[in-house]
Amino acid sequence: MAAVGTQHLTGHDAVAARYRNVDPVYFETRDLRLTGFVLFLLSDCILFSSFIFAYVYLRNSAPAWPPFLNGTQLPWFDTSFAAVNSVVLFGSGVTMHFALENWKHLHRQKFFYWLIATIVLGLGFLGGQAHEWSGVFATVLTWSNSTMGASFFVLTGLHGLHVFIGTVFLTVLGIQAKNNVYTGSKYLGLTAGTLYWHFVDVIWVALFYLFYLL
Amino acid sequence: MHSDTAHETHEDHLDHGHIHPAPEGFIRKYVFSLDHKVIGFQYFFTGIFVLLIAGSFAELVRLQLTDPNGAIMSHTAYNEMFTMHGTAMVWMVLIPLVTGAIGNFVMPLQIGARDVAFPWLNMASFRIFPIAVATLFSSMLFGGPHAGWTEYPPISLADGTAGALWCMAIFIIGISSTMTGLNFMVTIMKMRAPGMTWTRMPLFVWATFATALMNMFATVALSVAVGALFLEHVFNVPWYDPARGGSPVLFQHMFWFYSHPAVYIFIIPAFGVVSEVLPVFARKPIFGYKMIAFSSMAIALLSFTVWMHHMFPAGIAPWLQLPFMILTYAIGVPTGIKIFSWMATLWAGRIYFTTAMLYAMGFLITFTFGGLTGIFLASVPVDLHEHGTYFVVGHFHYVVAGGAVMGFLASIPYWYPKATGRMLDERMGQIGFWLFFLGLNGTFGPMHWLGLEGMPRRYASYANFASQYPDAVFWNRFETACSFLMVASVGLLVFNIFWSMKNGKVAGINPWGARTLEWTISSPPPYYNFKKLPYVYGRPYDFDQPMPYQNTDLEIEAFPEYGKVVMPIPTAGAAAGAGAH
Repeated sequence: MAAVGTQHLTGHDAVAARYRNVDPVYFETRDLRLTGFVLFLLSDCILFSSFIFAYVYLRNSAPAWPPFLNGTQLPWFDTSFAAVNSVVLFGSGVTMHFALENWKHLHRQKFFYWLIATIVLGLGFLGGQAHEWSGVFATVLTWSNSTMGASFFVLTGLHGLHVFIGTVFLTVLGIQAKNNVYTGSKYLGLTAGTLYWHFVDVIWVALFYLFYLL
Repeated sequence: MHSDTAHETHEDHLDHGHIHPAPEGFIRKYVFSLDHKVIGFQYFFTGIFVLLIAGSFAELVRLQLTDPNGAIMSHTAYNEMFTMHGTAMVWMVLIPLVTGAIGNFVMPLQIGARDVAFPWLNMASFRIFPIAVATLFSSMLFGGPHAGWTEYPPISLADGTAGALWCMAIFIIGISSTMTGLNFMVTIMKMRAPGMTWTRMPLFVWATFATALMNMFATVALSVAVGALFLEHVFNVPWYDPARGGSPVLFQHMFWFYSHPAVYIFIIPAFGVVSEVLPVFARKPIFGYKMIAFSSMAIALLSFTVWMHHMFPAGIAPWLQLPFMILTYAIGVPTGIKIFSWMATLWAGRIYFTTAMLYAMGFLITFTFGGLTGIFLASVPVDLHEHGTYFVVGHFHYVVAGGAVMGFLASIPYWYPKATGRMLDERMGQIGFWLFFLGLNGTFGPMHWLGLEGMPRRYASYANFASQYPDAVFWNRFETACSFLMVASVGLLVFNIFWSMKNGKVAGINPWGARTLEWTISSPPPYYNFKKLPYVYGRPYDFDQPMPYQNTDLEIEAFPEYGKVVMPIPTAGAAAGAGAH
């Protein structure tokens, strides 16, 4: 039965046809969805790149950076606090990696520990962002009083929104895993969630460099 | 994928041996459909509807220009009219028609797929398109946008609520384009019929792939540009206002980073249509298949590197002007490769002058002309002189109306038999072609010499210019008269489309003797397209060879056990199946 219509296939196609007979419906949809998800992440990357371009452009064309507001220069960002916060976010990338690896190796309980650790670290990062936004800047810098505020609040806000969506995403994945949606060989949702989480991390590398170090 | 259907294996489906029942009833079939063909029709009719509105705006603009002081409306209303004409035509007509309508209907058929990769996403892409249209036109209730289709700040910042609605409309249609692009890219990469390698794909599919690439990556930059403009309108966030440290040139950068690819987004599908139509009606293999295919990709990639040629007068650094001038010249090379390949395809062919072929050959003339004036404009000194004049308007409309729209019009008679099962009336079609072709050249041709004389674009009145160059009044009236030939052509086309649905000749499977996969199945195709996925072992353009397919519907008719189909169906189960696994 499996061979019907596949005798004439050669090379890659024949391998693919045999492989798909394991569970063709699943593997075909996995293939499509993973490709689509990676393309989505690439287009999301353009989203951040465009705003980063805007930021760099405005910063380059400004006479001084941080710019002057009513005759006084705006203060620099609190780099050390942001560095600690970054470590929290990058740490969550590491824990997410361990979570997925444990799932692949069928260590179900460890998977949940690492996943919860990831979510907690993600929420911790968001809390740090909220602290930074409210405590230091809201009094001096708003998104409508200078280009520095516009680019900072829009870019970090967009990134924070991504982190927030990511934590919701991971929570849903955890519930699905609890409900046995995934198996040891079929875990596309977990792969997608991990990719998304690492993507958000990588974007933060760029933002951290551009806002705090550059 | 934890619906009941998801746990069935492939063997289960073969054993069940059923074709899922066709969607029943008008609502399920034509309104809430997941079928790429029906979604294509939805795009088509929505796009044609907006075309009629945006076209009537263009006619109002033309009527205004019959008098040097402005014939029919106030200058403010004139600004609003040409702004709405441009915006609606570019985003709500051309892009949805060439990608959403033609791409959706034709591309999955040509690659031998039963649908696009994500039918739900496809439906969502269409659903938000009318919302964008409604948002755009609702801006006219608030005074309308006035700064031209580019809505450059700081002028557009004076538009207030209307400007914010304009941004919302473009943002929404941008999301629709991005999702369509993603969907098409995955479809073409992953869902080609077995045996259809990249270099066996029909050229329209290559064109759709290049378009989808640009749709996906460039549109996001536009969304960012108008999203930031929206923030500036509503929350006063200083991105573009020079008084507060923002930069208007920044908007131009982000806008043109999208909008230069955008002109290729609507011209490359037209290239694809012409590449399909010419070999069929010249009865000759396409000349230079690989060169045409790769030049589509080259144009798609190069289109990301030329955006600054729209900004030469905006005060960008001189050291940036030269590379962008050279890159803009460079993009003429793959375009020229295409033009020469098409001419070589016609060479010594047996040419049938059907409506589709007339449009395709008209495309060769008018698009080449528009492309050549584009080469003039790429040169910095010429561009600095001509940028604010009607020369640019003439160039742009030759490329868009003479290129993208002509290609789109060629696709209608060509695929109409496949879509409806009946032929589009040839007599009306050919009259329509000549009306359109003459009207187009008469309208946009004189703009070139008016522009060379220095007639400024976007002016509601040109009394000063007309006092220096009295011929301007005659040529503007001539253009207005000719533009109504195009109106007559479009009216005839719309009438023809509805008339031929009932009265056209019955088409049969393959009325043109064409060789791509969509011509191996019945007209109109069943909702599952192919009874069995065909096997492809050659290119579709070798007219001296047998058709390069196995397992076509005709072949498998004798084997009813092959007539088994797995399709996504619009039920709650399919909705649950859209989840992750």
